[in-house]
Amino acid sequence: MNNKITNWTASDDAMIENAIRRGASRRELLTMMLAGGVAASMGSLVLGRASNAVAATPKSGGNLKAAGWSSSTADTLDPAKASLSTDYVRCCALYNRLTFLDQAGTVQMELAESVKSGDAKVWTVKLRSGVTFHDGKQLTAKDVVFSLKRHLDPAVGSKVNAIAKQITEVKDLDSLTVEITLANPNADLPTILSQHHFMIVQDGTTDFSRGIGTGAFKMETFQPGVKSIFTKNPNYFKGGAHVDSFEFFAISDDNARVNALLSGDIHLAASIKPRSMKLVESQPGFALSQTTSGNYTDLNIRLDLAPGDKADFVTGMKYLINRQQIQKSVLRGLAEIANDQPVSPASHYHNADLKPKGYDPDKAKFHFQKAGLIGQSIPMITSEAPTSAVEMATIVQQSGSEIGMKFDVQRVPSDGYWSNYWLKAPVHFGNINPRPTPDILFSLLYASNAPWNESQYKSEKFDKMLVEARGLLDENKRKEIYNQMQVMISEEAGTVIPVYISNVDAISAKLKGLEANPLGGMMGYAFAEYVWLDA
Amino acid sequence: MSTYVLGLITNRLGSAALTLLIVSFAVFFATAMLPGDTATILLGQAATPEAVAGLRAAMHLDEPAFFRFARWLFGLLQGDFGTSYVNNVPVAELIGARFVNTMRLAGIVTLFAVPLSLTLGITAAMFRGSVYDRVVTILTIGVISVPEFMIATSAVLLFSVYLKWLPALSFATDVDSFWQVLKIYAMPVITLTFVVSAQMIRMTRAAVIDTIKTPYVEAAILKGASRRRAVLIHALPNAVGPIANAIALSLSYLVGGVIIVETIFNYPGIAKLMVDGVSTRDLPLIQSCAIIFCVGYLALITFADVVAILANPRVR
Amino acid sequence: MTTSTTMPRGARYRFSWIGMIGFAIILFWAIIAFLAPHIIPYPVGEIVDEDYFGPMSSKLLLGSDYLGRDMLSRIIMGARYTVGISLAAVCLACFSGAAFGMAAAVIGGWFDTILSRFLDALNSIPSKLSGLVIAAAVGSSLPVLIIMLGVIYIPGAYRFARSLAVNVNTMDYITVARTRGEGIPYVVFSEILPNIIGPLLADFGIRFVFIVLLLSGLSFLGLGVQPPYADWGALVHENIGGLPFGAPAVIVPSLAIASLTISVNLLIDNLPKKIRDRSA
Repeated sequence: MNNKITNWTASDDAMIENAIRRGASRRELLTMMLAGGVAASMGSLVLGRASNAVAATPKSGGNLKAAGWSSSTADTLDPAKASLSTDYVRCCALYNRLTFLDQAGTVQMELAESVKSGDAKVWTVKLRSGVTFHDGKQLTAKDVVFSLKRHLDPAVGSKVNAIAKQITEVKDLDSLTVEITLANPNADLPTILSQHHFMIVQDGTTDFSRGIGTGAFKMETFQPGVKSIFTKNPNYFKGGAHVDSFEFFAISDDNARVNALLSGDIHLAASIKPRSMKLVESQPGFALSQTTSGNYTDLNIRLDLAPGDKADFVTGMKYLINRQQIQKSVLRGLAEIANDQPVSPASHYHNADLKPKGYDPDKAKFHFQKAGLIGQSIPMITSEAPTSAVEMATIVQQSGSEIGMKFDVQRVPSDGYWSNYWLKAPVHFGNINPRPTPDILFSLLYASNAPWNESQYKSEKFDKMLVEARGLLDENKRKEIYNQMQVMISEEAGTVIPVYISNVDAISAKLKGLEANPLGGMMGYAFAEYVWLDA
Repeated sequence: MSTYVLGLITNRLGSAALTLLIVSFAVFFATAMLPGDTATILLGQAATPEAVAGLRAAMHLDEPAFFRFARWLFGLLQGDFGTSYVNNVPVAELIGARFVNTMRLAGIVTLFAVPLSLTLGITAAMFRGSVYDRVVTILTIGVISVPEFMIATSAVLLFSVYLKWLPALSFATDVDSFWQVLKIYAMPVITLTFVVSAQMIRMTRAAVIDTIKTPYVEAAILKGASRRRAVLIHALPNAVGPIANAIALSLSYLVGGVIIVETIFNYPGIAKLMVDGVSTRDLPLIQSCAIIFCVGYLALITFADVVAILANPRVR
Repeated sequence: MTTSTTMPRGARYRFSWIGMIGFAIILFWAIIAFLAPHIIPYPVGEIVDEDYFGPMSSKLLLGSDYLGRDMLSRIIMGARYTVGISLAAVCLACFSGAAFGMAAAVIGGWFDTILSRFLDALNSIPSKLSGLVIAAAVGSSLPVLIIMLGVIYIPGAYRFARSLAVNVNTMDYITVARTRGEGIPYVVFSEILPNIIGPLLADFGIRFVFIVLLLSGLSFLGLGVQPPYADWGALVHENIGGLPFGAPAVIVPSLAIASLTISVNLLIDNLPKKIRDRSA
């Protein structure tokens, strides 16, 4: 990523990438770049970078080594319980999903041959035939029924229990056909099934430590909190991975992870901090791979508690948060400015007409004065747990001190942050991982009965629109409703979303074939299956 | 004399059991006070009340914590460390290999650090006030003033990233030759030697200087004993007690305190295991690690006390 | 090369020049810490540089940190925390540790056994666990931080002081004093302390270094120094990414820590002999 284009920042790269994903034509892209001050001759260079890796021919062989950032004794091979990126990577190597999302965010079939419905309520899933598990057994509809029903059992501890609850019935019609019935119509089911937790395991599995799946790799070693080693599955239904083996572990220290990459010990260091970019860029033979998929850290103001019960405080904060500074200084350009709502530009439902509020301390002061809060000390809970939340808090604190607003920033331990402070403190930070559809985002985060309603936003109108849009098979109508809902969240909810944060993986130049994926970094965590090593 | 030492060791074994019990209770209450339990932590952001209740029931965490603790304690008496709440693996299995790794690293560091520290500390005391003494002092303090993570990171940058001599990661498992062992352990051992030596050097120097001043060492020097002889034969035996204690305190750090080295070099030891246990509220794992740390510490200080008594028979 | 045995009496009151340098550096940092809010060029939280890990320049004398904040201001404010908190905590740890250690050695018996086992147990509880419990139970404040740091290092100070005092306790003059009927406080402070003050001071110096470094660790557990402020150890930690570029943001706070800790130890090594070796 060693470009010499002046004034061309990483966020511009992201804009182009998103445009490509949305299906912009080459001409549109060039216009966009000219507007950004880039000469047309340079244009192809950037394009070449954003959509690289297509031309080269894959090579077979080699041992792929990669490091994520967190791993503990809680590491699991049970897809329903997977909670950390490292779990997703391991599960992607071992298992498959019925569907997956490609680079452009469109649904593709994986274990399913088709997922169809006439009314968006009763769905028929046709499975591929001839797919085998690592132990030689055939994949059948029974495995799918078992895998999906698990999420409804509270004793499993599934992370997607809240989403899976809309499934009222799953049954096998024949050995390769499954029927899924939903409580209410939901046109997004194929996308929902592409989430990592909905991977297909073998019927009746209770011990997941063996990692028996249908995936591109077989498990060789799995030591929770230490490392895992996988070998290529020769009978993989998609035709086999390029590398012979894949070793994955976590190095939690950001510098240590980057140094391990630079010293040649690993081929990929996942999710590096913006402050490490300079080092990677200064070394020949290494590159950065950026994904903007809609992860964000937000400042949550509970609307039911002081000071958030005064609407002017919330509005004031939306003007006080310096989005540009957070994008430039905290994230070094690896972010896109957000407009206080959760649907990112990576989604084609993103409402681009809804402009982010600009940094305006005077307007903010006006609103704080109206709320009668100038001069009071407002506690603000932050932690290392949500990405960059400590830095964001200090930026808000500094902006506040310039207009006489005092924020008492309290950095609390990241240990226990999610159970102890998140959703609970009157003013605090949260971090939301990307979800593939607006429906999931809204139902989990903004509906009146949402389990993680971060600001306790409650609106009957919003709830009605949510249910209405869910059952619509007409894309345009849906998009229109979602656009309105984004405006409502942006104006009324207490969640201040300053930027969408890009994920940056640092890779060795030997590693080829890595592409961006809307499901997350490391090619939506499934990179091991697709990449190859150039000797 | 030896009967006295035996008596002391028996006495210590008895009080060790009591100490372990106190530690165990303290760790239990501390863990109980932390916000969240294993079920809420595992579910993380997905922790809706019903999901938590379901998982708690499935993991048998719904009975009172104290019963579980009592059962664990009873199991321990029979040599059973219990089963991890988080992944249902016996704790002994989780600890096993990693404990060996920790002891191996601690052993190698001890082999380097203790002779080095004693030599530097004693010679600095012998030549107290000289340029040599001052240089040793400044270097010693200078070295430990640099945070551990900075020493480790600098070493990796220099030897792995720029010179490419050593691997940046120290997986204890990829060992197939002596040369390999040397390469893998070089950086962690250097870092930890830096960290633990300073205290030993400084305390050795201070304790030796203190005994040089005692009347009978002064008398020995006046009688014409060489300076080296006065220090080694007359002063040192009296300083052994404090020195042994300083060594024990420094080395106890190597059992449970090497979390930074384990993190940066990705070395699979038990300090990281303990941290994992705390962050997932995995009581059997936390308890077992705490007991191991405590036993290690008690063994070291008992050893120091025995050495002190043997060196100075008047201490009874 | 001189030793206490051959040194003329008058020299014992001399304060060596190395000790003076150490004292001057400590005094310098103390003054900086005291005046900090009045002499910082920029507010510590303000981002003044578009770039990060910036070099030294006339605008930013010590360059910028990972966010582009002024390093000079951050170090000056950090002096308050590092110097103040560490000194308070080390005094707490060493004074109480030494007092208990000497008392245990002199009194012996059950008092010694129980106190020793209790402090052994205290030392065996992982500090991360206790740190988290305290952060959750009483929240974070500077007094909590100081007590926490002090308590973590009491067992070590106790053990070292006790082992020194046990040695001295066997000396004839102690026996004489006790048969004379002197009370425990007299024996401890008039007979034992003067004879072990040298090693105790050395212990104080080393413990001071440990506390300075541990301080940043506790900040990460949510105890103590809160943003936008940071102690020097935390400054090194948050800017460690600048190490490959030799950024002043990581080098200068390291040097600040080293200058302070080396000075404290040099001062202790070179205290006037009258204070240091009262036994001679």
